[in-house]
Amino acid sequence: MESAFRRGAREGLRDFLPISVGLVPWAMVTGIAMRSIGLTELESLGMNLLVYAGTAQLGALPLIAAGAPLWLIMLTALALNLRFVIFSAAIAPVFHDSSFARRLASSYLLVDGVFAVGVDKLLKAEDPHWRWGYYIAPSAFNWCVWQGCTALGIFGAEFVPRDWSLEFMVTIALMVMVLPMVRTRPMLVAALVGGLGAVLLRGLPLRLGVVAGIALGIAAGFAAEHWQQRGRRS
Amino acid sequence: MIEGVWLWVAFALMAMTTVGTRGSFILLGEKGRLPPALQRALRYAPAAALSALVMPDLLIDGGEVSPLNPKFAAGLVVLAVALRWRNPWLPFILGMAVLLAMRKGLGW
Repeated sequence: MESAFRRGAREGLRDFLPISVGLVPWAMVTGIAMRSIGLTELESLGMNLLVYAGTAQLGALPLIAAGAPLWLIMLTALALNLRFVIFSAAIAPVFHDSSFARRLASSYLLVDGVFAVGVDKLLKAEDPHWRWGYYIAPSAFNWCVWQGCTALGIFGAEFVPRDWSLEFMVTIALMVMVLPMVRTRPMLVAALVGGLGAVLLRGLPLRLGVVAGIALGIAAGFAAEHWQQRGRRS
Repeated sequence: MIEGVWLWVAFALMAMTTVGTRGSFILLGEKGRLPPALQRALRYAPAAALSALVMPDLLIDGGEVSPLNPKFAAGLVVLAVALRWRNPWLPFILGMAVLLAMRKGLGW
């Protein structure tokens, strides 16, 4: 009889595998980008291990290159990571009976893809062993793929022509992730309002437009859900 | 360019934002339960966040909002391909092909 942990781990990996493909180019692009602003191989690997947040890393690179003050770099990373506060709040009930060490590891490892794919199943699951397997296996797998492919980008950066616009692969990866989410109308509303909000509010300082757009999108999605339900009742 | 020790200080500060944001509610444990209505609202966070990162890149070209740019065209191709076929590499291959063809071939 297979343990609940292993069943959870296998199901988590199976659900997450298709998403992880989008990670490969994203990680390689991040590796190349770190080298392209002049970080050494060691500095790039160190940044990747410590920060482990692709969007924040990519967003901070221009500031590091420009010699911006440290508080501005930290604030920018914070703004680009703020969505994780929201994810953390949503997924926190899953860990309410876990040890502090597990919660700390889970915090460092929490990424968009695993959250997006697994949060619903995790919140519904009763068995804590199954939950732990379902969360930690794809999260650890994501870490390995990310670190490995970023290293490929870091050490392969010299061999890729600069003018190939490789950074656009980041956008493609994000699009591929959002598509399966917007199957219901409220989700679509949330995505459209969030995206257009970020476009229109891009003038806000410190890239806070992204955070403001996210907040608007959430509110719009919630409102759309509310109206949809009321429309059904009447 | 930030160099030497200060670069590592910057990395450490950024790392604090990573664990600080991701761990905020997970580390709080029982103390940090959110009201159910807020939790329901937060289900919309991933879609809103991903879109908030994608759309500015597709719609803003040289600081101006303009859908007439190579990235937007490539984005439409990515959408069509991802909706039509399940192959995970195809959106990357065709999206990049369209972008490079427009930028290099047509000099846009």
